[in-house]
Amino acid sequence: MASGIARGRLAEERKSWRKNHPHGFVAKPETGPDGTVNLMVWHCTIPGKAGTDWEGGFFPLTMHFSEDYPSKPPKCKFPQGFFHPNVYPSGTVCLSILNEDYGWRPAITVKQILVGIQDLLDTPNPADPAQTDGYHLFCQDPVEYKKRVKLQSKQYPPIV
Amino acid sequence: MGGEGEDLEPLFDYRRVQPANFVCIDDDDDDNASVTPIPKKAKTSKTVDKLDNVVNVIEVTGDDDWLLPPPKVIFDKNKESVEDSTIKALRSKKLELMSFTKTVADVMQEVEESAKREMEASLNPPSETADEAPPEPTIDRPKIVITIQDKDEKKQYRVFADEKFERVFKMYADKVKLNPQNLVFLFDGDKIDPSTTPSQLEMEDHDMIEVHTKKS
Repeated sequence: MASGIARGRLAEERKSWRKNHPHGFVAKPETGPDGTVNLMVWHCTIPGKAGTDWEGGFFPLTMHFSEDYPSKPPKCKFPQGFFHPNVYPSGTVCLSILNEDYGWRPAITVKQILVGIQDLLDTPNPADPAQTDGYHLFCQDPVEYKKRVKLQSKQYPPIV
Repeated sequence: MGGEGEDLEPLFDYRRVQPANFVCIDDDDDDNASVTPIPKKAKTSKTVDKLDNVVNVIEVTGDDDWLLPPPKVIFDKNKESVEDSTIKALRSKKLELMSFTKTVADVMQEVEESAKREMEASLNPPSETADEAPPEPTIDRPKIVITIQDKDEKKQYRVFADEKFERVFKMYADKVKLNPQNLVFLFDGDKIDPSTTPSQLEMEDHDMIEVHTKKS
């Protein structure tokens, strides 16, 4: 039953995404080599916001949904070693709305998660550091931090 | 029940009437048979009364219950009729109001129905003709609506599902006055080959395509 609820909800999320989503974002369920669709894992792209040091980057993010979704939030992961104060070395994003004990609500959509993470990119939360590198530079060396961010944005160019 | 009662009654008769008829019943067959019936009948009727009195406690109480309510109802009615002056007035007012609402509802229904009829009458002739025209193309070539989104706005296009993207891309480029070669169309993050068709990409009605402008 749990999986039925999770998959049903994810099918709806996908349906509404295909019809409408913010420009530059991608969110699609994983497709296996044999063409089967796995609704429990989504491959997404988050564009860096225009006018920020993140602009021009199209950052890949994977969402892992559990059978308990939407009671529990999906785990959202950037590539390992992603540079950001609130991203763990494993790439897992630390964000209040993605924490089932804090901001997560079952009504939060995939779209809202992705836009929320886009916001987080340029507005890190120093009260909740997840990696030393990004956190220290953000607090102590803004110039170097800015440089690292711009460099990373170039590492994830658009497909175009 | 009636049959059992008849069978049982004589037995009870004998025992209860024993002091009077005991001797006759037990010992004599022929004489008693001729003699007993007459007292029996009389006695049975008596015993029935007795039985009723005795059984009243258990069985007949039910009958009493059944019998009693009517007077209660009557009493109630009487009571009501005493109190009724105000209630009756209220009821009559309620009925009046009901009739008003009914008449209003009826009028509304009539209006709606007549409006519907008019609508149908006005719609039917054109819809028939309209239906006759489209079916052939739609059956042959299914159309879908796709949304093309750039950074600022969305535009919707109705395209044939089996038509190459080239045509709609060119239409779009003409509209935004840009060189189609500087535009990149993406579906689900993948670049769309202009020589493919919506049906080849398994696109559905109202699916969204993104346009990105080359910066070079």
